[in-house]
Amino acid sequence: MTGFDASPYAALSAVMFFIGVGGVILRRNPLIMLMSIELMFNAANLALVAFSRAWVNNAGHVFVFLVVTVAAAEAAIALAIVVALFRRSTNVDVDEVARLRG
Amino acid sequence: MTQPLTIPYTGADWATVVPMFAVAVAALVVLLADLLLPRAARRGAALVLGIAGLALGGILAVPGYWTPHAAFSGGFVEGAFACVFQEIIVVAAIMSLLLATHLARDDQVPGAIALMLWSAAGAMLMAGAANLMTIFLGLELLSLALYCLCGLGRRPSSRESALKYLILSSTASAFMLFGMAFLFGATGSVTLAALLEPAASPMLFALGCGLFLIGLVFKLSLAPFHVWTPDVYEGAPLAVTAFMSVVTKAGALAVLARFAYAALPAAVSPAILLPVWIVAGISMIVGNAAALAQTDMKRLLAYSGIAQLGYIVAAFAGTTTFGLQFGIFYFGAYAFMNLGAFAVIGLLSREHDEGSHLAAFDGLGHRRPAAAAAMTLFLLALAGLPPTAGFTGKVLILASSVSAGFLWLAVLLIVGTAISAYVYLKIVRVMYARAGGAPSRPSSSPAALLPWVGICVSAVATVALGLHPIVLPGILPLVK
Repeated sequence: MTGFDASPYAALSAVMFFIGVGGVILRRNPLIMLMSIELMFNAANLALVAFSRAWVNNAGHVFVFLVVTVAAAEAAIALAIVVALFRRSTNVDVDEVARLRG
Repeated sequence: MTQPLTIPYTGADWATVVPMFAVAVAALVVLLADLLLPRAARRGAALVLGIAGLALGGILAVPGYWTPHAAFSGGFVEGAFACVFQEIIVVAAIMSLLLATHLARDDQVPGAIALMLWSAAGAMLMAGAANLMTIFLGLELLSLALYCLCGLGRRPSSRESALKYLILSSTASAFMLFGMAFLFGATGSVTLAALLEPAASPMLFALGCGLFLIGLVFKLSLAPFHVWTPDVYEGAPLAVTAFMSVVTKAGALAVLARFAYAALPAAVSPAILLPVWIVAGISMIVGNAAALAQTDMKRLLAYSGIAQLGYIVAAFAGTTTFGLQFGIFYFGAYAFMNLGAFAVIGLLSREHDEGSHLAAFDGLGHRRPAAAAAMTLFLLALAGLPPTAGFTGKVLILASSVSAGFLWLAVLLIVGTAISAYVYLKIVRVMYARAGGAPSRPSSSPAALLPWVGICVSAVATVALGLHPIVLPGILPLVK
C-alpha cells in the first residue's frame, strides 16, 4: 500500500453504484434503466482505478479497459433489442423512443 | 525508457484455451458458410458445422483432464474440474443445436447457431476461469450472445423476455463486477488464489464477497433471485431455453464451486457461504411449489431447474470434497434428464407451435407411445425415482449434506422432492390417463428425427448414470 487513500473514491463509487441500483428498480423506462446499468459498471470502474492506484498494481487498470469494452458491446445489444421490441410491441411507451431518438 | 515488449506466456498457456478457440472459430466458419453456400444448403451446413466445431472443442478439451496446469499466471486453470464442466457444456450445446431447426426463421438459423457457439465458448472459459477478469470475460461472452438469442423466438413475448433478461442479468453482472472491484481493493490482486491470504481490509473483503455472490446466485437463478427465469424461458426459442437451462448454469456453477472451495480463507468461509446454502434450501421449496401451478412445460421446467440447482448447490454445503464430487455428478445427470425432456418437447413442436403447452401432452401415451415413454423416464428422473440418475444423485447429495452437518438442508431436500414428485407425476398422468384420439403419424422428414438423437442419448445416460454413478477422483485442488 502507498500513502494514497482510496476510501473517498470507494465511497463515491458505492454512492454511484446504489444510484444505479435505484434507477433499475424504480424507473420503468428501459432506456433510463440501461443508463442506470452503465452507471453501475462505471462505479465499479472508479473503484477499480482507485484501488489500482492504492496497491500500485496495474491489474485494475487492465480490468477497467476490459469492462469499458464489454459495457460498450452490452449497450449496442441492448439498444438493438429495445428498437426491435418497440417496433413490434404495443405495450411499451413509444413516445419515449420518438423523443430520445436522434 | 522503453523496454522490449515480451509476452510472458508459453505455448502450454495457449494450449489450455485451444478448445474455446476451436468453438469460437467454428462460429465464424458457420457465418462464412452462410455467405458462400447456396440458400438451400445453408441451414443444414450451419447445423453440421456447428456440431462439428463443438465436438472438436470437446475432444481438444479431453487431455486437460490429466494435465492440471495454471495458465496465464493463474488466470485459467486446466484440470479435471474444468474439463468435466467443459464436456458437460459441449454435450449440452450439441443437444440444444439438435433442436435448433425450430429455432427461428430459416435465414436466422446460421446466425443463431454462431451465437450459441460463442455463448458456449464463454461458458467453457468460465469453467476454467481462476481470476476475476477471466470470470467476468467468460460471463459476459456467455450473456451477451444469449441476450440476442432470447429475442429470436416467434412468440410476441420473445423480445420482451430478451429485454427483461438483458436488464436483470446486466444488473447481476454489475453486482458481480462491483464485488470484484471490492475484492481487488481488499487483497490487491485479481487472482482467486490471492483471495486465500488474509485480506488487508476484512470488511471490504466481506462486502466484495457478498456482492459477488449475489450476482452469481442470480445467474444460477436460485430463489429469491429467480423471478426472471420462467418469463425468459417461456419467451426464448425452445433450443435457446434448453441451452440456457444447462450451459449458463454450468458456467455459473463452476465459478461458484471454484470460489467456494478455493478462494476463501478457512476462517471466514463458513460465515460467508452460509447465505448461499440458505438460498439453495429456499430454492428447493420455492421452485417445486411454484412448479405445481404451471401449465406451460417451459415454465414448469424453469421452476424445476430452480429446485434442481438448489439440490446441486446444497451438495457443496460445508465445502467437502465428496460434496463437490456428488454435486458435479448430479449436475451431469441433471443436464441429461433436463435436455431429454426438452428434446421430447422439441419432438412435439410444429412449425408455428412449440408444443410446450401441457395440452400438447394430453393423451400422448396413446398417440405417440415412444415419445411418452421417454418423457416418463425423464420426469421420473427429475423427480428422483430409481433406477435413474436422479435417484442416485439425490441419495449421494443427501449423504453429503448429512455428513457435512447440514441436516436442515437434507430435510428441505426431502420435502422438496416430495412436492416435485406430484408435479412430475401429474404430467405422466396427463399423458396416459385420457385417450387422445387416433395415433398420429409423426412427420418423417430428417429434421423431425433430430430430437430423437438427443432423446436416445439422454435416456441411455440417465439410466446408465443411475446404475453406475461416476464420482470423479482428483477433482481438487482448483486454483493451482
